[in-house]
Amino acid sequence: MSCHIAAERAAAPPVLRLRARPLKVVLVGNPNVGKSVIFGRLTGRYATVSNYPGTTVGITTGRAMVGAEVCDVIDSPGVNALEGVLSEDEHVTRRLLANREADLVIQVADARNLRRALMLTAQAAAFSLPMVLVLNMVDEARRRGVEVDAARLSSELGIPVVETVAIEGQGLNELKEALPAAAPARIPFVPNGDYSAWAHETASRLRRSRPSSIGRFQEFLGRAVRQPATGLPILAVVLYVIYLFVGVFGAQTLVRLIEHGVFQAYINPAATALADRFIPFAAVRDFLVGPYGLITMGLTYAMAIVLPVVATFFLIFGWLEDSGYIPRLAIFSDRIFRMMGLNGKAVLPMVLGLGCDTMATMTTRILGTPKERLIAVLLLALGIPCSAQLATILGILGGISFAALLTLFGVVVLQIFFVGFLAAQLLPGERSDFIMELPPLRLPGMRNLMHKTLLRIRWYLWEAVPLFLIGTALLFVLDKTGLLRWVVAGGRPVVTGLLGLPAETAQVFVMGFLRRDYGAAGLFQLSHAGQLSATQAVVALTVMTLFVPCVANFLMIIREQGLKAALAILVFVTTVALSTGAGLHYAFRILGVDF
Amino acid sequence: MLSGSSVSTFEHGRRLVSLGVGERGVVVRVLRDNPARAERLKALGVTPGARVRLLQRFPGFVFECDQTELAVEPSVARAILIEELG
Repeated sequence: MSCHIAAERAAAPPVLRLRARPLKVVLVGNPNVGKSVIFGRLTGRYATVSNYPGTTVGITTGRAMVGAEVCDVIDSPGVNALEGVLSEDEHVTRRLLANREADLVIQVADARNLRRALMLTAQAAAFSLPMVLVLNMVDEARRRGVEVDAARLSSELGIPVVETVAIEGQGLNELKEALPAAAPARIPFVPNGDYSAWAHETASRLRRSRPSSIGRFQEFLGRAVRQPATGLPILAVVLYVIYLFVGVFGAQTLVRLIEHGVFQAYINPAATALADRFIPFAAVRDFLVGPYGLITMGLTYAMAIVLPVVATFFLIFGWLEDSGYIPRLAIFSDRIFRMMGLNGKAVLPMVLGLGCDTMATMTTRILGTPKERLIAVLLLALGIPCSAQLATILGILGGISFAALLTLFGVVVLQIFFVGFLAAQLLPGERSDFIMELPPLRLPGMRNLMHKTLLRIRWYLWEAVPLFLIGTALLFVLDKTGLLRWVVAGGRPVVTGLLGLPAETAQVFVMGFLRRDYGAAGLFQLSHAGQLSATQAVVALTVMTLFVPCVANFLMIIREQGLKAALAILVFVTTVALSTGAGLHYAFRILGVDF
Repeated sequence: MLSGSSVSTFEHGRRLVSLGVGERGVVVRVLRDNPARAERLKALGVTPGARVRLLQRFPGFVFECDQTELAVEPSVARAILIEELG
């Protein structure tokens, strides 16, 4: 790899010198060019890396050593423009530059796409910050027959230009060495501020591309997944493989192994024996190992029932993310999403929601208009089950029948569509046009996949397990103080009357308000204990699926949409959940359905 | 140079929406009837002089612009005026 520093700049005084605070370096660039990979290489910290635009929605910071100097490196969301009509995440990046929150800009560019990168260079140059241009993925560019004259580019722009293959660490040392030579870019003045002609001319002059035959297989694969005749069967196969891996291997095989083989066989008996022996107070013993015990209930749910599914899901989901497959689903779903006031791009937050609704709620920032963001947040809260919840759904209904599973998903999908359709008509505002970049299809690298999956599992353990334990403690207190009986009695008209469920389900719904999956785990146990009939299980799970996902998700909705909208969403979603459950209950009774 | 008043000249010209699968063209300009759309297309590199190749028409339009693969709805493909290449 090479680094090109224009001779005149190399003599200029270095930007790096001893200073009171660390130098702030911000990574800026078009979406999906590898900013997060370079961030990871510079700082040793991991920022989530995927193969689709919009993976980084907030900013991540980390420390890097450049020579003897400490730098704060900021990873920013990908931007296509810094001027004009901007999306929410483009504003985030623009503010970093405009508010002088950075001392130095590293623009990361996809070497194949010099023209687009240069339009951004011109807009970034307007902030007069010292810059370095990184041409990343030069290996892929060469395979496609694209070569950029980096030396001439450097002398024309007056900034260092470094070629890298960041994923393999190539060119990173050169990048660090180039930082001291960073300088404000020299861009010829254009009266109307439209740099597209300049970018086009410069790119055409400095880029040689020759026809290449490599990439034929990629093209073939690309065609296969995006054309309906082949793409829809491929989608069906993908879904079936996910079901086999997560629903059967994760939710049944692994759960059985951990729940029976580890918790019921060793941990719970051992904990009970230890408690009996060393803890003289019955209340404390109960708190740890009773029916609502932290270990026997909270920990068992979190580790034995939910964790295996979350882990298997994150693994296969991460693989799909890195392959570049998910954005291609937007082509199929665009027409449907347009009826719901969204466009095909909404497939990204929706599919991400299957991993975690809280993170997906944040990803709605990539959508074009406030109306789209509100509808997407609402639909995520209403109907998209997260992996942890899918776990329990598959665990319970998988054991009953496929028809039960289809009923639940059918009702939820219809409800999403119905609410989306209404929201599109009733909410003010516009939807934006469907314009979406499709990332190249790639074979996912195992290292990134493992790293990402482990981080997500760790995140699940940190985020969900405490809530499970808090929920368990809360139930314990409610139970001991007799309040639980009140809750159950108070919920009876709704739970038993309206939904036709056993009264104990009320406590499960209380758990479901904390986290849907925690509530669903409670249903899992009720159904295993034979307290729920098949139809009751379907009704209870449907209601639970339609609840707001969890406390964390609710807090994120407040952050993204404000308290008023969040409360409105909460009330609306709960109403829809309960009325759908009631409708389902009566429909089952009248039609005499049993699974 | 192309100016705003020359819309009518191009109304009968070729648009991306009228290309067949596999056909190539060069972007002449992007209609500005919807400025937000035009801005976004520009940011993605759909600007005068860019080479395009249509890859798919149904269920959505997919085309290659330079080295970028883009998926758009029909109304967007209608707003992109092109000159056909052999």
